[in-house]
Amino acid sequence: MRQFFPVDDLARDERFVQTNMAERMKDARTTVDVDAATAKSRASSNRLTPDRHDASDGARSLMHGIMVGEIQALEGAGRTAHDFEAGDGSGDTIPFELKLDMARQAWDEARHVEISVKLSDWMGTELGQFAENTVLFEAACSNDPILRLAGVNRALEGLAIDVFTQMKEFGNLAGDPYLEFCEDWMLADEVTHVKMGSDWLRKVTENDPDRRKKALEFQQVVDKLFSFGGARGETDESPIGLARRFRELAGFSDDEVDTISMMDQEALDERKEAIRAFHAQADAQPTPA
Amino acid sequence: MGNSETETQTTVRAPFTPWDRRELPGLFDVEETARRVGNYKWTEMKLFEALGGWIATVPELDVKMRFGTHCYHHSWHADIWHKRLPELREMKPERLTAPANEAMERFIEAMTEPEAAELTIEKLVGVYRVLIPRFIGAYTYHRNNASEITDAPTVRFINFILQDEYDDWRDGEMLLQSLITTPDHVRRAAEHQAKLEAIMVEAGGITGPGSIGTSVSTTEGGA
Amino acid sequence: MAAVSTAKITVTPSEFHFVKYEAQDIVDVVTELAEMLGVANPIHVIVDESTPLSKLAAEADGTSSDSTLTLRAESGALENTKRFTHFSADAARGSLGRTLLRAKDRLRSDYAEAPDDFDLSLAENAAWDTYCAGRLDRMGVKLNKQRWLYNYRNRFGFSDDGDAAFERLWSADDLSWTELIAGP
Repeated sequence: MRQFFPVDDLARDERFVQTNMAERMKDARTTVDVDAATAKSRASSNRLTPDRHDASDGARSLMHGIMVGEIQALEGAGRTAHDFEAGDGSGDTIPFELKLDMARQAWDEARHVEISVKLSDWMGTELGQFAENTVLFEAACSNDPILRLAGVNRALEGLAIDVFTQMKEFGNLAGDPYLEFCEDWMLADEVTHVKMGSDWLRKVTENDPDRRKKALEFQQVVDKLFSFGGARGETDESPIGLARRFRELAGFSDDEVDTISMMDQEALDERKEAIRAFHAQADAQPTPA
Repeated sequence: MGNSETETQTTVRAPFTPWDRRELPGLFDVEETARRVGNYKWTEMKLFEALGGWIATVPELDVKMRFGTHCYHHSWHADIWHKRLPELREMKPERLTAPANEAMERFIEAMTEPEAAELTIEKLVGVYRVLIPRFIGAYTYHRNNASEITDAPTVRFINFILQDEYDDWRDGEMLLQSLITTPDHVRRAAEHQAKLEAIMVEAGGITGPGSIGTSVSTTEGGA
Repeated sequence: MAAVSTAKITVTPSEFHFVKYEAQDIVDVVTELAEMLGVANPIHVIVDESTPLSKLAAEADGTSSDSTLTLRAESGALENTKRFTHFSADAARGSLGRTLLRAKDRLRSDYAEAPDDFDLSLAENAAWDTYCAGRLDRMGVKLNKQRWLYNYRNRFGFSDDGDAAFERLWSADDLSWTELIAGP
């Protein structure tokens, strides 16, 4: 078995179809109000709440996204347990106890996949019904174990905290007894995983400030990517909110959360700009007779 | 109180209850126990690393999830043995975290070799038809021959670990039974098992020759 | 923008820029649905390709057999969810089939009181969707019943009474507007 495993080789059964961020961003359609003159039919809020007309389909789609995200998180944690030798944390080694934590995370993620599959079934979604964006595995599987901690445990699991908080609230408002119950449990695990990443990142880079700086910079890049063009953010234009309270529990400082919020807004603005450009291009095309 | 019969009753009892049949002698001294525990830790580590690495390589969702779960089980076993080693006078656990011999190292290399998505049967066979049965054998032998008094901690740990091994073996074996559905699958499973089993025989088991004791021959020396 | 027309079915736009849809594919699906549902009216399908959402609406400009039925669909309603921006005949069959059934219901005199689709409450929408999906399912259009049950539960609550009401709507074939919105 190879030491590092490329995203293109992730094994799936034939029900699953994979896509990536570049493909996703080519889609010029949007739910955000890029131009008030043409967006009069848009909802005033994009936040995924039960009062949206497409609430149940939106929740189903997000739940499927969670499921494939959990599969990739499971794969990512397993790979980290595998890819690096036990050592003192320098070079390509990671402490033995960190390997153990990654194995524990693999179990948690395996349970999350089980939960997500059952919830998807409960919501009337078939496995593989929606395209799987492999950005999580792609962005979170650096060859440097410390970057991987920043990518997987801080950025990816941080995103999971935001998504689970949103879905828990959705379940609560809709009165869905399973959804709220399950999301609450998964949220508890994710807070643990982020904390695990925060603690290890601090510990392993204790005497290596450059490495820590590089890891945190990498985390910012991944965090922006995981904003999905502003799909996550603090304004109502984003379907998924930023879960400040649970992020703080997991060890994010206020400054870090503020930075993520700012990057989410940047990602949303960039996305709007790209869509405006696409609209202008489409409008410039001759109309067929 | 106030009952003369109670007041005269003695609290003197035998130190061992009649049903406690534990014996002092055991086959393994501290040094030999530490060596075996080091072999267990190394092999459990290799196993959880392999299971973790394979998660991304198997397309079957049920197998993927089982690998994730079992990856943790074996990491927990490795952790138990890691913590046991200093209690066995090995203050640098890494020193004894080693394969029993070169053949055991080759066995792990051969077991972890299959990577392609279509080789799930081979991956499962290596773990659940060769390695884990060997773990069950080595742990059972150790538990049954350790002093239950002097080495009660190891015996207790083995009991916990064995329960996982039985459960994981059953999971893996049933996954295999559900995946092996054609004569070609049967051939693949058997051939891979034979290949790995041969290396394991060469290694003599997880702790080398004597992993499950020395075999007793009845052909020489008569009954 | 010009419209493509075959017989009585037209689609707007005739050419798509945001999604990889062909107007003719939509015409083919609607033709098949109209035959299946016994609808002989002219049908105009308007697709909003600028949004990935999937809201649907049906209008009828009268109640006669030559009244035009207008089906509005946001592009997500016709999309292959495994391949974003690509058309899915199965998704279109489910979405436009339900919408066409709504439009057909609107031709009935006992639906005169039904508000316009954009003015329906979320609960009225869910009830009507259930009624349409159930009928479509029995006609052989592949649908996931659990999806519609979940949609209904989100509007009427997660309860045995709600589930029983869902079953009544799902298995019904001839409801008036008043019966449709009676609730659990």
